[in-house]
Amino acid sequence: MLRTALAAALLACAGYAGASWLTDDFQIWTAEGARRLEVALQPVSVPAVRIEGPGIPVQPLAAWLHAPGRVTVVDFIYTRCETLCLSLGGVFQQMQRRLQQGGGGGAGDGVRLLSISFDGEHDTPDRLAAYARGLGADPALWQFARVPDAHESAALLRRLQVVVVPDGRGGYEHNAALLVLDAHGRLVRVFDLAEQELALNYARHLAAKGDA
Amino acid sequence: MNGHRPQPRLGGWPMVAGGLLAALLALPPARALLEASMLRHMLLQAPLLLLAGALLAGAAGPQARTAMARWNAYGISGLLAAGGILSLLMVPRALDLALVAPPVEAAKFVLLLLAGAALRLSWQPAGLLVQGFFLGNVLPMMAVAGQLYADSTVRICNAYLLDDQARLGEWLIALACGFAVVWLAQVARTMVLRDAHAAALDAAPTLLLKK
Repeated sequence: MLRTALAAALLACAGYAGASWLTDDFQIWTAEGARRLEVALQPVSVPAVRIEGPGIPVQPLAAWLHAPGRVTVVDFIYTRCETLCLSLGGVFQQMQRRLQQGGGGGAGDGVRLLSISFDGEHDTPDRLAAYARGLGADPALWQFARVPDAHESAALLRRLQVVVVPDGRGGYEHNAALLVLDAHGRLVRVFDLAEQELALNYARHLAAKGDA
Repeated sequence: MNGHRPQPRLGGWPMVAGGLLAALLALPPARALLEASMLRHMLLQAPLLLLAGALLAGAAGPQARTAMARWNAYGISGLLAAGGILSLLMVPRALDLALVAPPVEAAKFVLLLLAGAALRLSWQPAGLLVQGFFLGNVLPMMAVAGQLYADSTVRICNAYLLDDQARLGEWLIALACGFAVVWLAQVARTMVLRDAHAAALDAAPTLLLKK
């Protein structure tokens, strides 16, 4: 019985250690939670991929992101989407409105919005332009792009841990979120869709810091 | 499972079957097929691995069993290990990680095989009380996790679809209830048999005394 008690105690310790490792000290339970924590602790640089879109000639993503005091809030979409991306579009519309209101030389002026399509084959620059018009995007603040090369697109999704799952009905489900990227092309924070206020304030704060 | 009766001579085929099953499940096409859906990942692949582990545990000879039993009085260590492994693998991150991190996938296979073996070696020695304690922890956990999966409006695994998750939730609840009913029926049967035995002893004391 003593041996059993000892074995049980050891097993309990091992189980605790395993659970603690798996949940990062009982902070996170999902892969998405782990991803957000990892990014917050250690920024992730975007890989060398080229983007293009309406008003964006083909160029490296890092080059587009790079400008003094520039901070970009990125979301991943596909234009045929009728669920999550619509709410993402709504979130970006509201953020654009806030940026327009706050514009005019204020702090954190360098904040831009970028919607990247992961359905590059379908979402040509023309389709993206039509989609942007439909959402009332102001090209000075909110632009749309795709990664024309499928391999590069996959590499970008992998690096930023954007998981896209075909839903079997021609669409996709994906872990939609607000990704804040700095001027050095690093993903520095991932926010939930419901945290748009927080994401915007964080981006502005970062942009203002970059200006100084 | 096997009672206290001496093992019938089946030869080594259950072990061979267990090993083959485990090897089959580890093949990339089988993994891709079973892990493409959350439901199959949790409710087909995991139970098959448990089964393979249980079959492989048959490889333990009487000596090994006696040695292990000393560390596993009333099956407590084994059931604790199995319960711990099952709850760890119910953490949603574990499912996603298993898909992208080969070491985690390997650990998942080994742990489930071990859990299956532990269940087989510990269930009978545990008796109703320890069994009840084990199920009283594992089944409610399964049902609660199932309820969360079924009701959640957000995906808790990045790699799986929302309706897949909801279906898995419903299955988890149903299975937890099913296991509970089956086990309680078994308890009732044992009780009735015990009572009948006792009544028979009461009814025929003289008969027994004569013997």
